[in-house]
Amino acid sequence: MPWETILPNAIAGDAPRVVDLPMDSDAFAGFYERSARSLWAYLARVSGDPALADDLMQESYMRYLCASRPAPSLAEGEVAARRYLFRIATNLLRDYWRRPRAASIEEIPEQFFAASASAAQADSKAALGPALALMRPRDRQLLWLAHAEGYSHREIAEVTGLASASIRLLLFRARRKIARLLREQSDPSLNHRREP
Amino acid sequence: MIFSSCPHEKEVAELLVRGHWEHACSPELRNHVSACRACNDLVLVSTAFQSARADAAGAASIGSPGPLWWRAQLRRRNEALMRVRKPLLGAQIFALAVNLLLAGGFLAFLAKDGVQWLSWLEQIRQTQGSFFGSLWPSTLFSSGWNLMVMIPVLATLAMLSGVVVYLASERQ
Repeated sequence: MPWETILPNAIAGDAPRVVDLPMDSDAFAGFYERSARSLWAYLARVSGDPALADDLMQESYMRYLCASRPAPSLAEGEVAARRYLFRIATNLLRDYWRRPRAASIEEIPEQFFAASASAAQADSKAALGPALALMRPRDRQLLWLAHAEGYSHREIAEVTGLASASIRLLLFRARRKIARLLREQSDPSLNHRREP
Repeated sequence: MIFSSCPHEKEVAELLVRGHWEHACSPELRNHVSACRACNDLVLVSTAFQSARADAAGAASIGSPGPLWWRAQLRRRNEALMRVRKPLLGAQIFALAVNLLLAGGFLAFLAKDGVQWLSWLEQIRQTQGSFFGSLWPSTLFSSGWNLMVMIPVLATLAMLSGVVVYLASERQ
């Protein structure tokens, strides 16, 4: 058997010709346009660091395209592809949190958390950033996936790798906690009342 | 913490997902939400998160997908190269190990026989004659089979040097 058949074309110095990516360039461009903003929002809000969100978003797409295990392509449904992308991003966030911290929440620009919304929800929106910062990372992920992305418990389990049965209870606790924090942030007197 | 679920929670969640809350729901449900802790939490949290999502998605400055696509291609190519190089590196290490083993065995064999194989060098020193005279074949061949041993030694050393240089260049 000649060696050229054993070694791939890459070693012969050919131009990059890797065709086994999950989608072609145009399909990827479309998928990216439709999913990048929501992925960035997830990463930025859950991590609390827009610069980190930029990096992790790029890495998420890279890993999605380079996955050794075949990633869900658009033919299998965009929902599945998005879910897989969020799963990669969730794992990247988890890896980041496991590493020693380089920046603290205090270093995040204040205007990132500032709200520019309608008066009806201005209070809860302005309070969401600080309230999220007080939550545990896993709870932030669960809350965002459930309430911002609208994922079901089964889908959240798939994205986070947690047991499907435990999602409901974890989400219930996290929601109760952040609701209390949101009320306290919008009405500090509630906080004072709890202190004694 | 007591885990209590409200039967209206699912209905409220669906309204929130569809964007029908709060104007497109019945007054009874609205009254229920204002009185029910679980539903009230759900509405408060969901509206806050959905607004935050809309704001953050609007503020996102996403780059072009083109560079990402090409970087992914490049990464795949590099991974393919790494996969190919792994067995090659293994073969190099194996060759180096075999060579070292042979060299070690040879040295052990020589040590067992003493330093007799250096007798031709001793002869050169003893002649004290001209340098060219010492290189005369008869002088060398008079040392018996020692020259036959030296050639493989030198060949082995040359081969080892080649392997080391190759490995070093591969690292670079």
